[in-house]
Amino acid sequence: MSMKIRIFFILILLLPFWSLNAQNDVAVLKGKVLDAADGYPLIGVTVMVEGTKYGTVTDVDGAYELHIPREKCEVTFSYVGYDDEVRMFTLKNASAFNRIVMSMNAEQLADVVVTGVYERKKESFTGASATFKADELKAVGSTNVLQSLKTLDPSFKMMESTQFGSNPNMMPDIEIRGKTSVVGLKEEYGTDPNQPLFILDGFETTLETIMNLNMNRVASVTILKDAASTAIYGSKASNGVVVIETKAPARGRLQLSYKGDFGLSLADLSDYNLMNAREKLEFETLAGVYRDNMNDPFAQVRLDNLRNERLKEIERGVDTYWLSEPIRPGFTHKHNIYAEGGEDKIRYGIGLSYGNVGGVMKDSDRRTIEGNVDLIYRTGKFQFSNKLSINYLDVTNPTVSFAEYAYANPYYRKFNADGKVDKYLYYPEEGIDDYPVANPLWNAHLNNWDTASGFGFTNNFIFEWFVTEALRLRAKFGLTKQDEDEQVRLSPQHTRFDDMGETEKGLYSHTQIKELVYEGDVAVTYGKLFAKKHMVNAVGGFNFSNNSRHIYGYSANGFTDDQFDAPSFANGYPDGDSPDYSESLKRAASFYINGGYVYDDRYLLDFNYRLDGASMFGTGNRFRNTWSVGTGWNIHKEPFMRDRDFFSMLKIRGSVGNPGNQNFSAYQAFSTYKFNGWMTNVFGTGVILNALGNTDLAWQETVNYDLGADLTFWGDRVNVTLDYYWKHTDPLLAVITTPGSMGVTSVAMNAGSQKTQGWETTFRISPIYRPSEGINWNISINATSSRSVYADIGNSFSALNESGKSSLVGTTRYYDGGSPTAIWAVRSAGIDPATGKELFIKKDGTYSFTYDVNDEVVVGDTQPKVEGLIGTMFYFKGLSVGCYFRYRWGGQVFNSSLFQKVENIGTQDVYNNQDKRALYDRWSENNREAYFKGISLVQRTEKSSRFVMDDNSIVGESFNIGYEFPDRIARRMRLGAMNIQMTMTDVFRASSVRVERGIDYPFARTVTMSIGITF
Amino acid sequence: MKKIFTLFAILSLMTAVSCDAWLDVKPYDKMAEDELLSSEEGFIKFLNGIYIELNRDMLYGGALSVEMVEIMGGAYAVGTDNSVWGNYADLAEYEYGTEYWRARMNETWNKAYSLILNCNLLLENLESTGVKFSGDNMKVIKGEAIALRAMLHFDMLRLFGPVYSRNPQALSIPYYKKYTLVPNALLPASEVASEIMNDLQEARILLANDPIVTSGTMTTPPADASSVFMYYRNLRLNYYAVTGLMARCALYFGDRESAYEYSTEVIDASNAGIFPFVDKSLVTGSPDDPDRIFSSEVIFALTHSQRNTLFKSYFDPSRIPNYVFRMDNDLMSNVVFGGGAMTGGNQDDYRYRVNWVATGANRYFYKYSDMNDTGNICNTMIPMIRLGEMYLIAAESRSEDIGSGLAYVNALRSNRGVNGLQSLTREILQYEYIRELYGEGQLFFMYKRMFTPVLFTSNANRNPQPSDAIFVVPLPDSETDN
Repeated sequence: MSMKIRIFFILILLLPFWSLNAQNDVAVLKGKVLDAADGYPLIGVTVMVEGTKYGTVTDVDGAYELHIPREKCEVTFSYVGYDDEVRMFTLKNASAFNRIVMSMNAEQLADVVVTGVYERKKESFTGASATFKADELKAVGSTNVLQSLKTLDPSFKMMESTQFGSNPNMMPDIEIRGKTSVVGLKEEYGTDPNQPLFILDGFETTLETIMNLNMNRVASVTILKDAASTAIYGSKASNGVVVIETKAPARGRLQLSYKGDFGLSLADLSDYNLMNAREKLEFETLAGVYRDNMNDPFAQVRLDNLRNERLKEIERGVDTYWLSEPIRPGFTHKHNIYAEGGEDKIRYGIGLSYGNVGGVMKDSDRRTIEGNVDLIYRTGKFQFSNKLSINYLDVTNPTVSFAEYAYANPYYRKFNADGKVDKYLYYPEEGIDDYPVANPLWNAHLNNWDTASGFGFTNNFIFEWFVTEALRLRAKFGLTKQDEDEQVRLSPQHTRFDDMGETEKGLYSHTQIKELVYEGDVAVTYGKLFAKKHMVNAVGGFNFSNNSRHIYGYSANGFTDDQFDAPSFANGYPDGDSPDYSESLKRAASFYINGGYVYDDRYLLDFNYRLDGASMFGTGNRFRNTWSVGTGWNIHKEPFMRDRDFFSMLKIRGSVGNPGNQNFSAYQAFSTYKFNGWMTNVFGTGVILNALGNTDLAWQETVNYDLGADLTFWGDRVNVTLDYYWKHTDPLLAVITTPGSMGVTSVAMNAGSQKTQGWETTFRISPIYRPSEGINWNISINATSSRSVYADIGNSFSALNESGKSSLVGTTRYYDGGSPTAIWAVRSAGIDPATGKELFIKKDGTYSFTYDVNDEVVVGDTQPKVEGLIGTMFYFKGLSVGCYFRYRWGGQVFNSSLFQKVENIGTQDVYNNQDKRALYDRWSENNREAYFKGISLVQRTEKSSRFVMDDNSIVGESFNIGYEFPDRIARRMRLGAMNIQMTMTDVFRASSVRVERGIDYPFARTVTMSIGITF
Repeated sequence: MKKIFTLFAILSLMTAVSCDAWLDVKPYDKMAEDELLSSEEGFIKFLNGIYIELNRDMLYGGALSVEMVEIMGGAYAVGTDNSVWGNYADLAEYEYGTEYWRARMNETWNKAYSLILNCNLLLENLESTGVKFSGDNMKVIKGEAIALRAMLHFDMLRLFGPVYSRNPQALSIPYYKKYTLVPNALLPASEVASEIMNDLQEARILLANDPIVTSGTMTTPPADASSVFMYYRNLRLNYYAVTGLMARCALYFGDRESAYEYSTEVIDASNAGIFPFVDKSLVTGSPDDPDRIFSSEVIFALTHSQRNTLFKSYFDPSRIPNYVFRMDNDLMSNVVFGGGAMTGGNQDDYRYRVNWVATGANRYFYKYSDMNDTGNICNTMIPMIRLGEMYLIAAESRSEDIGSGLAYVNALRSNRGVNGLQSLTREILQYEYIRELYGEGQLFFMYKRMFTPVLFTSNANRNPQPSDAIFVVPLPDSETDN
C-alpha cells in the first residue's frame, strides 16, 4: 500500500514541467479576486490576457500575479458559475486590478456537473447527467431525496412495490436507465445488482443512508447516466451514479436556521375491491362451500345451519370492513436545526436532525436522529475539511400483515358480545374436518413486536493542497461504522403456535449486524487554460475501499406469558437450531484518470480510464479496465452562431464506454468448505464443500453508447435535453440452476448478454419569463422509453423457464431475442359461451380447449412504450405553485388480482374474502357472454392472455404550493428569512387496469407542510 | 501529458500487483479452499468429510442401504395401510413417478454427485498441491478418493442405468472425473462401466502399499498413535475393499473371469487372516450380545456415530403401530431360513439365530441393533462390502455353470453353522445372497443383474416379474430439466 504514496510524490515532482512558461513581460499585475456576495476571496479564478497565452489562476487567498506582455491589453477574469469580468489594462491603471469583484451568475451555478471526483462546467462536459438543487428537490416533495428525484428525472426509477406499498421501512428498488442484470441474484445474494452507485460528499454510501438523510441537509443531487460521466467510477458504475452533496457551512456571523416538515399520510385503499358480507356469502354458496360433496345428509344439515347462521348475522347488519382495522393516519414530523458561521480561515456547521415517519399502518414507525459537525479550515495553500455525522435509527413494524385483514370475511364480527377480541372468527365443532379461521385482531392485540434500531457514524476527512494555480492535490479518507439490531417477538398466544407444545410456544429472535467501511482516495487535479483557447483538465488518482460486515443471530422460544416478553423469560432454544453467523469482507482498489480538453469552448473531448481490482472476483479475473470517451460540440459558440442570440446553448455530444457492475456477494468466486458438523468419527472431524466458486467468473460489463443534445433558446425560455442510448451488457452474470450431476444445484456463471436501447428527453418552456420581477411560469414534459432483449443465452436459463412455466403466476421467460420484461402466456380467445370453457389459441393459430404450455407467446410487456412526467411551476414573487403528473402508456400487466382473486380460487382460498369480480361477470348458463369462467373451486385456470391488460395510468405525483416571505416581513418578525410550503404526494391515480396494490402494506397519500426559518 | 500517463500506467501496474495480495480476501465464516488444503491434515479432513457424508440418509445411512433400495429389492413385507406405510406402498409397486419418490430419487442423485464433486475437487487439489505428505499417505488419499468416486458412480449406474446384462449400450448416467461447470453428457452404460473399472484399477495400484496388506485392519490403534489416519482400514476403501468392489462391478458388467479373480483374491486375504470369519463364540457363545454384523468379515464399512437410529427408525418392533421393516413370514420360514435342502434355509443358521429376534408371533431384524459394549466400533458400522459376498461372487463366477461354485457356497455355509449343500442352482444362490446381505442394499441390484423376479414373498405368483419398468429408475428431474 505504500505504493500509492510513491505515486503521488512522483506526480508532484513532475508538476513544475507543466506550468513552465517563457517570460518576456511589460508589467506584472498583482491583485485579489473577491466574491461580490460576501467579499471572500475566490480561489482558482482564471486570469487571462486576451489574445495571448499569458494567464494564471488565483491562489487560496484569491491573489494572483499576472505577467503582461503588451502595453495595452484586455484582461479577463473567469470562474465557474460567475460572470466574466473583463478589464482594459493601459499600463497606468494597474491599481484598478488590485481588487476585482466577481458576482455569481445564478443561472450558471446550476450548470456545474459534480461527479464526486471532479467538477466540470456543464457546457464543457460531454456526459449525460442531470443536476438538481436543493430548492427543486424540496419543491416536489419532502419525504426523501430519492422520492423527489423520481419526480424530476424520468430515467431515475423507483420501483413501486405491489407487495410492500408505502412501508416506510422497506428499501425500494432503484434503477437508472433500466436493468442490466438477470434475476436470481438478489434472491441469492441479497444485494440488488441493478442498484445505482450512491456517492455522498465524495464517498460511496448505501441506499439506506440516502433514504435516512434529512433532505434539508442536501445541497444538490447529480445523476450520472452515461459512460462518459460514470466511467470514473469504473466497475461500480454500470447502473448509473447518484452524487449527493450536502450543504457546506457558509461564511459569516453565526447563523441559525430551522427547517421543519409536518406530514399526514392516509392509506389509499381504492385499489381494493373486496366483497361485502352478502356478496361473499352468495359467492361461497355458488362455489359450493355449503354443499356436502358426499351427499351425507347429516353433514348437509350442519352446512345448512352454518350458512343460515351466517345469513342471520348478515341480516342483523354484520358487514365488517376489516381493512380499516390495521390502518391509521400516519403523522410525520421532521426537524433540522443548523448553526453555521466562521470567517476566512475556519468555517463550521453544526446540525441536529430528528425525523419521525409514521406509516399508515399501526405500529409502523421510523425514527431517525442525526447529528453532524462540518468543519473547514484553510491556511495558506492547504485546506482541511471534515464532515462527521452520527445517526441513530429506531424502527417498528406491524406484526400482522395487511393481507390478513384483506382475507378476513365481512360476515364475521370483529369483537364478541363482551367487546373482546376472540382468537378465532370461526372454530369448527369437535370432529368436523374444517380449518379454524384466525382473527387478525387477535394476533395484532397480543404483545408481539418487530423492531430494529441502528447506531452509526460516518467521518469523512478531506485534505487539499493547492500546489500551484492549476494544480491541486486532494486526499480523502472516510470511515463509516454502522451497527444494527433487530428483534422480533411473537407472543405464545399467537395462532402460529397452536399446534406446538406448551414449552415451545412463543418466539424471540435477535439479529445483530455490524458493518465497518473505510475508503481512501488520493487524487491530483489539474486545470489550465492555454492560449485562451485550449482548456485542459486532468484528474488522476488512487482509491481503495474495505467493507466488512458481520451478522450474528439467535432465536429463543418457550414463553409462557403474553405480557412478560423479555428474552430472559424464554425457556430455551428451538430444537435443532444453531446460532447464525455470517461474515463478508469486500475489498477494492482502483486507479483512475480523467482528462478533458476543450478547444475554444467549442470542441469538447473527455476521456476516462480506470483500473479496478475487487476481491469478489476470481483470481483469474481480478482486475478490470474501464474506459470511456466522450466528445461534444458547442454549436452556439461557433462564429456563425455568435451573431444570433437565439441559442444560448446548442450542444451535441456523444460518448462510449464500458462501466462494470460489482454489486455481488463477497465470496462467489471461490470455493468454500465447512465442517460436516452433524457427525464425527474415529478419524476425527471432516470437511466438505460448502459452496462452489467460479474463479473464472467475469465482471459484468456494459458497453454504453450515448448520443445527446442540450438546447437552450428563446432567451433561456426553452430548455431541451435529448438522449439516445444503447447498452450492451456482456456477459451477464447470473445464478444458474445446473443438472444435479454437476454436484451443485446452482452456480454463479456468465451467460449471454442483454441489449437495451432507449431514449429520454426533457423539455421545459417558460411562456412567462420575467426573472427580474421574480415571475416565471414553466411547463416541463419529460419522457423516457427503452427496450431490452436477451442475446446468446441459449439454454442457460431453461430451468428458470421450466419453473416459470409450471408455476402458477410466473410469466417471465428467458429466450434469445426475448425481452426481460415480456409477459409470456398462451393466447386466449375468451370463454366459450356454449361450454364456459376457455378457448386457447395455439401457436399455429388454431383454437383449442386444451391448454398447452408450449403454446406460450409474448402477450405483453410490462415496460411501457413511453413514461414520464408532466409538470408545471408558477413563481410569482415569493409565491410558487406547482404540480407534477406521472404518465405511463403502452405497457401491459398480468392482472394477478383477477387471476388469483377471481379465478383460481381454490378450496382453501374460498375462505378468504375475494375481489367483487369473483362473483359478477362469471360464466353460467344465464350469463354466457361472461369474461370469467364459471365459479368453481377445483378448476385450475392457466396463465393466458385473458389476464393481460393494458396498463396506462396517470398519477398526481406531487402538488405543491410555497411562499417565501419578503425580507421586510421576515425582518419585522425578527427573522433572517422564512418560507413555508405545502406538498401533496400521490394525490390520485387513474389506471386502465384494476389490480390490488399494497398487499402486505397499503400505499399512502401524503400531505406535508414544511417551514424554513433562518434567524 | 504522455509521459505522465505512461508513468501512471506503469505505476498502476506495479501497485496492482502488490494490491493483489490485499485483494485476496478469505472468508472467516467458511473455510477457503487454499487455507483448508494447505496441509496434509486438511486433505485428511476433506477425505474424512466425504466418508462421513456417505452416512446421510439419502445415501448409505438409509436410502441405499436399509431403506429405499431394500424395499425395491423386496426385502420387506410392505403393508397396504396407507396411514402406516405411506409412500412405501408406492415404491413397493415401483411407482417411481410419484412426487415423493421423484423428490427422494432426486435427493439421492444430487447427494451422490455432490460427493463425486467433492472427490474431484480433492483429487485436483492433490494434483497441484505442494504439501509434503508423510509416508504413503498421498497415494492412499488419492486411491481412496478415486475409489469413492467410482463406487458412487457405480451405485448411480445400478440404480438409474439400464439392466446391464440386457442393454449395455443404453444411455445411462454422466461420469465426472473432473471439477467442471459444464455439464457432462449421459454415457452409454458400457462406457460408464469401463470408466468405473479404470478408476478402480488406478485406485488399486495406488493402494498397493496399503498397510492392510501387511498389518490387517488395525482396529485397535496404539494409545500413543499421533494420527489414526492409517488405522481402522476396514472403515476405508482399502486395497481389498477396492478389489472386492471390482469383483462386484465386474460381475455386474458380465465380466465373469475378472469377478472370479478379484473375489478369490479377497478370499485368499481372508484365509491369510486379514478378514477372518467371525469367531463362533462371539455369535453363539454370547446369545444376548452377539456380533451381529460379523464385524471381522466386513471388508469395508461406513462408521455412523448414531447407527442405532437405523434400527430405531426402521426395524425396532417397539415402533408398532408404525411401520416396521421385516421379511415376509412365509418367505422367511419356507425359503430363506427354512425349506431344507430345496432352499438351503435352516434355522440353525447363525444369520437367523443372531439377527432375527422374536417378539410375539413375528421375528424382527436386529442386524443394526447395538451391542452392549457401547464404545464398540462395531456399533457404528454400516457394512458396504463383506466377505460373504466375495464367496458368493466367486461361486457365481467360477465358470459358466453355477453348479461349479458349490464349494465356495459350502465354505461360507460351514462358517454359518449349517451343512453344505448337495448342489447349487441360481435360486439357491439368490437365497444365499438374501441370507448373507439382507438389509445391506444389495438385493435389488442382484435381481436387476440376474433379471429375475423380485422375491417379496414365497409365492412366485405374487412377486413382480422382471422388467425395465421395475428395474430402471427414471433419471431425476434435476438432471433432465437442465
